[in-house]
Amino acid sequence: MGQEIALLNNYLVVGAMLFGIGLIGFLSRRNMIVMFLSAEMMLQGVSLSLVAWGRWHNDFGGQMLVIFIIAVAACEAAIGLALIMMLFQRSGSLDVAVWQTLREANQPPYVDSAESDEPPPTTDWPKLPTAGNRPELTPDETDHRSHV
Amino acid sequence: MIGPTEIYVAASLLGALGMWLMLPSAGARNRWLGIPPAAVALGMLLARTPRLGDWLADSVFLVMAVVTVVAAAATVTCRKPVYSALWFGLSLLGTAGLFMFQGAQFIAVATVVVYAGAILVTFLFVLMLAQPEGRASYDRTSWESLVSAVTGAVIVTVLSMTLTGVLTAETDAPLPSAAAEELGAGVLTKAHTARIGAELFGRHLIAVEVAGLLLLAALVGAAAIVGQSRGPLAEEDDETQETPDQSTI
Repeated sequence: MGQEIALLNNYLVVGAMLFGIGLIGFLSRRNMIVMFLSAEMMLQGVSLSLVAWGRWHNDFGGQMLVIFIIAVAACEAAIGLALIMMLFQRSGSLDVAVWQTLREANQPPYVDSAESDEPPPTTDWPKLPTAGNRPELTPDETDHRSHV
Repeated sequence: MIGPTEIYVAASLLGALGMWLMLPSAGARNRWLGIPPAAVALGMLLARTPRLGDWLADSVFLVMAVVTVVAAAATVTCRKPVYSALWFGLSLLGTAGLFMFQGAQFIAVATVVVYAGAILVTFLFVLMLAQPEGRASYDRTSWESLVSAVTGAVIVTVLSMTLTGVLTAETDAPLPSAAAEELGAGVLTKAHTARIGAELFGRHLIAVEVAGLLLLAALVGAAAIVGQSRGPLAEEDDETQETPDQSTI
């Protein structure tokens, strides 16, 4: 009895954590494919809870529901990935923000504060040696030229 | 005084802080700084869970739970989508182990075969087809990462607090669990897959048929969507073919 209730409790907590992490990813990531992965992860969290409840009630209903969740997730992946491919062919980018023109009319547009990959402009210019001076030659370099 | 509620709230806030630090951001934020608070939060949440009574069962469960949750967090926070997909595969393997630990052998195998074998490979295919070269700027920024991290933390807090509150409440008697011998005759039966099949094609036969119809509809829909994305070109071809016909008329 105690072990069963501990098992149910643990699985519900892990399922909640998976669901929460998937929710965070779905809300915050901008790559459409990563958003999709996060949605699948939320389904995994729900599946864990369902299997745990099924064991608690000694009933196969939870596992049946998980089987149908897997079937629906397969359908969802097929349709969603086809849509993502189509959107990628239209815009050339997996960014969801490209499609923000579909937002509600009274919503302000999202202004992208993108990270620039270039290093910031510096004022420290490299120091060049003074021109016109003959460089000191080492004995090796009098025999052959190490560089041209 | 520090009760279980405060521990849950503190753990969730720490987890939100860690996830916020780990998520990709436009500013110069050190993502590795997010790992210690997230790890502490995970440890606090898992330390609150009751023990199973057997140290081997406890350690197996804890290892699989940690693998699942850490891989899930890495899926969400990785900058490169291919790494995200691979971490998601690891998370799926951990979930399959958890299913197996519950005695749901068929679900575990189906998760590995269908999710990790088929769906994940489809994701990787689409990534190879669609991911542009180099580092994409949209993978290095995120929508309101702080708000979403707090949202996820609130959900985790509410779910774990209410559920564990229900399960451990002294006043309300918890729902009756099945005894060990009943479980052996039920979900833990040795003829597990046979029972699953009997249930699936007995009580849930109509649902199976509907699921098959749904799969067929998804197949046709995916083919139609992908065909439609090449639509304008096909229409242009049709017009070019039709124009000589009209001129002859």
